[in-house]
Formats: sequence, C-alpha cells, structure tokens
Amino acid sequence: MIAGDLFHRQPLLRELREVNDLFAGLIKTQVVLCAGNHDYLKKNSYYLTFAWEKHVHMILDTELKMVDLPEIETAVYGFSYGSKEMTEKPYAGKIAKGQRPAEILMIHGGDGSHVPVKKEEVSKLGYDYTALGHIHKPQSIIPGKMAYCGALEPIDKNDTGSHGYIYGEIVDKRCRVKFVPAAVREYIHMEVQVTADMSGSMLKQKIKKAVEENGTENIYKIVITGYRSPDVLFDVQAMDVYGNIIEFVDDTKPSYDFEKIKRHNKDNILGKFIEQLEGYGEGTAQYRAMCEGVQALMETRRD
Amino acid sequence: MKLLELRIRNFGKFSNRDIELSEGINLLYGENESGKSTVHTFVRGMIFGLERARGRAAAKDTYSLYEPWENPNYYSGAIRFESGGKVFLLARNFDKYSKKAELFCEDDGEVLSVDNGDLKMILGQFSETVYSDTVSVGQLRAEPGQGLAAELRNHAMNYYASGGGELDLHAALLKLKERKREIDRQIKEDFQKKQIKRDQIEQEASYIWRDIHRLQTEKDNLQERITYRRDHKRQKEEPENNRVIDELRPEKWRIHPLEILAFVIAVVLVFVFIKRPWNYLMAIILTLLCLIYTWNRLKISKKQEKTEPEKILEEIMPEEEKVPLEKLYWELEREEEELGEKQVQYNNLREQLEEMDEMGEEFREQEKQREAVDLAVDKINELSAELQKKMRQRMNDSLSGIIDQFTGGKYTHLVIGEGLEMTMLKDGRRIPVERLSRGTLEQVYLALRMAAASAFWEEDLPVLLDDTFAYYDDGRLKNALKWLSENKKQVLLFSCQSREEQALRELGISYQKINI
Repeated sequence: MIAGDLFHRQPLLRELREVNDLFAGLIKTQVVLCAGNHDYLKKNSYYLTFAWEKHVHMILDTELKMVDLPEIETAVYGFSYGSKEMTEKPYAGKIAKGQRPAEILMIHGGDGSHVPVKKEEVSKLGYDYTALGHIHKPQSIIPGKMAYCGALEPIDKNDTGSHGYIYGEIVDKRCRVKFVPAAVREYIHMEVQVTADMSGSMLKQKIKKAVEENGTENIYKIVITGYRSPDVLFDVQAMDVYGNIIEFVDDTKPSYDFEKIKRHNKDNILGKFIEQLEGYGEGTAQYRAMCEGVQALMETRRD
Repeated sequence: MKLLELRIRNFGKFSNRDIELSEGINLLYGENESGKSTVHTFVRGMIFGLERARGRAAAKDTYSLYEPWENPNYYSGAIRFESGGKVFLLARNFDKYSKKAELFCEDDGEVLSVDNGDLKMILGQFSETVYSDTVSVGQLRAEPGQGLAAELRNHAMNYYASGGGELDLHAALLKLKERKREIDRQIKEDFQKKQIKRDQIEQEASYIWRDIHRLQTEKDNLQERITYRRDHKRQKEEPENNRVIDELRPEKWRIHPLEILAFVIAVVLVFVFIKRPWNYLMAIILTLLCLIYTWNRLKISKKQEKTEPEKILEEIMPEEEKVPLEKLYWELEREEEELGEKQVQYNNLREQLEEMDEMGEEFREQEKQREAVDLAVDKINELSAELQKKMRQRMNDSLSGIIDQFTGGKYTHLVIGEGLEMTMLKDGRRIPVERLSRGTLEQVYLALRMAAASAFWEEDLPVLLDDTFAYYDDGRLKNALKWLSENKKQVLLFSCQSREEQALRELGISYQKINI
C-alpha cells in the first residue's frame, strides 16, 4: 500500500512507466495506491489515464472508494487528493463494510490543511488497520492499528532517524505490524559537546570519531554545543573529514554565568542590562539579545 | 588619599628638600621663581611618572624642563601618602639610566608593583589628563582641557561600573554593530545562493518551454498533413497502397482514338472524292495537318503531367517523405506524448519556483538573531542614556551647590550640557558661561573641576591650586577657601601673595604655612 505522495510533484508518463515496470516484478503482491497532496490528481494528470499492471490498483476518486482484492480476501478503502490541500475528511463516518475478512483504511494527511486525522474517530470506524501517509517520519499512532510508515528514504536534511516501510499481517482480524528499516542512509543531527579547553583540532577529532561510530554512509548535521571559551572560533569548513556533513550549527554558549555576572555587576550597566532581559526563557528575542549584549560587553572589557 | 610628605631628592632646582604636609589647607608660600610650580609638577610626576618625549619635542618637554640643575643623572624623589587607612611610600627614579618606580606599604611591609598596576588599584583608574583636568589646577589655567568632556561622557556611561570602569560601552556597541553586519552578510550570501538556484530552475523551465513550442509546431504540421492526406484519400477512394502521385493523376487521354479515326476517314474521303491529280496533294496536306495537331496534343499533355494539387503536395512534402499514413499517426502520438511530459515538467518547475518564494527557516532564524542584536543595542543605549542623565543630574546638583557657595548665593543654578558647555540659570535667563566676567568664569571652571573630581574618584584626592585666585575678589576668595576647607580633606595652595593667608586668618581657618 502506498498512502499517497509516491511522487513529490506531478509524475511524468515515463516515470509512471518506470514504476509500473518495477511493480510488474511483483509476483504475488497486490498494490493499492492513491494520490497525495504533492502528486494530486490535476486535470491532465497521467494518473487519470495510465494503464497499470493488473495487480496495481490506483484509487482515482476524491471520495472514499473500496478496492476489492478477493484473491487475498482483503478490501482496501482510500481516496486521492484532487488539489494541493484538502480540509474535509472523506473517511468521516464511513464504517467498514465487512465484505472481506481483512479491511484496511488508507489515509493521506493528518494536519490541519491535509485531511485531519483524529485517532479516536478513525478507530471507531472498525477497520483492521489504518495506513497513514504524508508525514515523512515513521511513527505508530495506535500500536498495531494505525501508523505512518514514513518516507522510504529520507528526502530532506530534517528527515532524521531510521526510514523504511511497515510490514503487517492480518490474521483473523488480528493485525501485527513491524517497521522494517530499508533506507540506504540516514540524516543524523548530531550534537557534539565542546568544553572550554577544547581546541579546533580536538573538536575535529571528536567529530571524526563520532561520525565513524554512527556510520560514514550517513549524512550529518553537526550541532556544536556546550561552553566554549569566549575567544575560540572554530573553522567548521575543515571539520568535514568524510565529506558527509551538510551543516554546522554553532550552538555553543560562551561560558558566561549570567546570574554570577549580574551579581558582580549589580550597580553597573551590565548588571542592569541582564536584569532587564533575563527571565524570558531560551530562544526568545530577549534571551538572544541578552547573550549578544553580554558577550559584547564582556569581550570589550578593559583590563 | 592624603599626601603626607614630599621628599624631593633631585628635581628641577631642588635637591634633598623634604616637605611635610598635613590635613586641611597647606599654604605653600614662595616668591616668584621660588619653585612652587616645580613642587606642583613633582607631585604629578610622582603619581604618573615622567615620560620623555621623543625626538625634537624632547627639548621642551616636562622631563627636560625639570631635569635637575645639578647632577642630572640623579633625578628622583619619593612621596609618602595615605590611602584607605594605609601609608605608602612611592619612590621614583626619573633619569633614563636608572628609571624605576617602587611602591611600598609602610603598615604591613608589602612591596607592591607600579608596573602591574598596583598604584592604579590604590588611586583609581584615571589618566594623567583627568588628573590635570580636575584636582591639579595650574597657574591661570582653571579651564579644563577638551579631553575632560569625552572622559566625563565615557565615565558617565561607566559610572556605576565596579572595579574602576572596566566596561567600555563604546567598544561594546561597535562590537554589536560588527555582529549585525556579519549577520547581514550571511543573509545576503544565502539570498544569493537561493537566487542562483532560482536562476537555474528558471533557465531549465525556459528550455522546456522552448521544447514545448517546438513540439507544438511539429505536432500542428503533422496534424495538417494527416488531415490533408485523409481528405484526398476520401475524394479518390483509391486503394490505400497506391503511390501518392498515382492517386492524384487525373483521368485524361492525350489524344482520343476517335480523333485519330476521324483523321484517317477524312484523309481517305479526301483521297476518294477529289479528282486526280488534286486528291494526292489534298490528302498529303490533310495528313500533315493531322500529324501537326497530334504532335501538338502530345506536347501539351506532357507539360500538363502534374496537376495543381500535385504541385502543392510536392512543395510541402519532399519525395522521400511520402510515407504511409500510419507512420504519420504514430509520429503524432509520440509527439503528443512528449509534449504532455514537457508540460508536466514545466508546471512542476513553476510550482517549485513558487515554493521558493516562501521564506526559509534559516532566513527567519537569522532575522531573529539580527533583531536580537538590535534589541541589545537599543537596551544598552537606553540604559546608558538613563545613566548619563542621572550622572548629569548629579553633576548639575553638585556644580550648582559649589557655585552657589563660591558666589555667595548670586548664582544658584549651573547646568552642564552634552559637550560640557555650561549655562548659568539666573532669574529665568540662560547665560552661557563665556559671557560671564573672567573672575566668575574662573570660579565656574573650578566648580566644574571639583564636581568632576568627586564624580571620578570615590576617595577624596588632594587639591593642588597654583595661584588660582588671582582674579577672585576678596569676598569670593573667602567663599572659595571656606568651601575648600569644608569639603576637601587636603588642599595644597601655592601662592606668591599674602591675601590668601590674610583671608584664611580672617575666616579663622587653621592652615599650615610652608615657605618654599
């Protein structure tokens, strides 16, 4: 089952042929697919006219439709997108008909503008399993009953973690699923801690070792955290030993203890500055302003 | 800080001269050329050292001016002073060969280092300029230098700074400005990168658009050909496998057989019915005429081999392209398919471009950081303005207080502006101090020095006045002396006249007189 967005944009005819040829290699498998918000059924979409292999079933309706698969005693219910967004819920109130021993619901979406999915609502409809698509990260919504399989391969640098597909079996109305990792490589956001006494080459060694431990085939975003000594600057360009680091984020904080600085500078502008901007919480504009200001004031101190 | 003793070893005209100083007013009396200004300079040299100027300037600098008259290689002295309840001895050698400074605490015997800033720790972080612009008043030079304005402003910002104003607001603000520029540069760089990507997509889209146009024209041509061929086929209803030219060849005899038959009959008739010998002649002529006609007909037919539609067809379709209709249909289908693919590709690219118009997460992040820097700058400026205002208010208050006493209540309001320009407020009028009489102006400057001194130093410093009261009338002299004795712990009053002593005596202020 492919719960939508097999393609990121409108598929080309030759791409459909390619996919169809791959499907043709399946001997005892039935394929059911629908169109998601990215490859939605545009007016001239090739989906509408393409002749799939016999065992490939594409749902070309924006209403919930049933695909009957008597050979495997299964019925799959699903719908396709007719536009980029879809706020209505085609599955709403469509209770499983009970025509086949195994009945599966397929939904693409799950956020506000793409077919909202409420798990309580869906689980009341009585399907044996609900296959969800749209979110790239694999996640189980109701264990054994409803899950996002996620993208087969990560497609964005923020698509971290393991990727693959969900393998499931429905026997006597009992569904058992398991996630099967299949992606060739992963995006990994890796935090590397620095300490105040760490030099550039030490950091490079540390990153190299961490990349080796996590697999050199993967692609990394390195976030450098911890407290560095305020006058050390890292040359991040040189840290990419294996050529698989796409981004460096320097999240280090100069080792300032705001509370202590405030106490020591109770009566001067530095103390007052911290006083006015503290307590807003990390990530707020005020917090950032406090870090920037304190750093500037501290670094330009006269000795 | 209180000066206890000046030990002039060898300095200017003095050698081995000790001067003991006490708290309160010390009147250092001496006639012209007795060395009052030398003592004055000695104190400054002891506190800040005497640096030799380089090059030509060295001939007239302070160092050379006070180089000992006798034995110039021995150029030194010492002062004893009390600060923070402890007594220190500071000794200096000024001469270039054995230049050194020693600081020693007499109470606990600790040896301190001038080079490491211990003296500054004791006296406060102020430069020689500030010292000269405040407590050390030279002869007829009560007006402080321009440097004081900047120092005061900077000091105002750091007013509350502990540890002697170690914060440098100006530098910090510059740093933040630099930081902002860096973020801006980053934003610009990212934007350019995005622009390059966008250009690439745009270019790709334009290629595909061109392809679409080419395919469209080709498709139209094919369609035209097919329509044309189909129409003609219907007209002729010929078997499909005929050659094109054959299909279009009109049905026409070059010369009709009946015509030839008629010619033969005519010739025979002429030969039979006309009498001899004319019949020979006539038959020959007629035969010739018939032959000429036939000849002509054959010629015309050859010319008309191709009909009008044939010609058109030949123009639009070279011989080798006269392909079967099925092939044309197949081609049309292929072109339509490719056109469809290209159109999808084109729309996908356009979609991608539209999505690129939305601001990325990274850009928003940078934008936030920039706003944070702005906020930090605003806050610092806001706080510093507040502190400056407070500081100026305090300065104004203390200035007004001093001038009130100096002038015996004539002027009670003296306000100081941003660039240290001062204005007297009197009966609702604003009087710039430059318009005041010389004497009052001197008093205003002295008031400013005294007010600034108490702003700069927490600890009271000795005030050195070198014939400062020349322009003061007797009343104001008394007022000033009274203020000094009440507000300053130690005053060194250099004078070559007896009016200060007389005034002190009249006021009943105790003083120590030292003859130089």
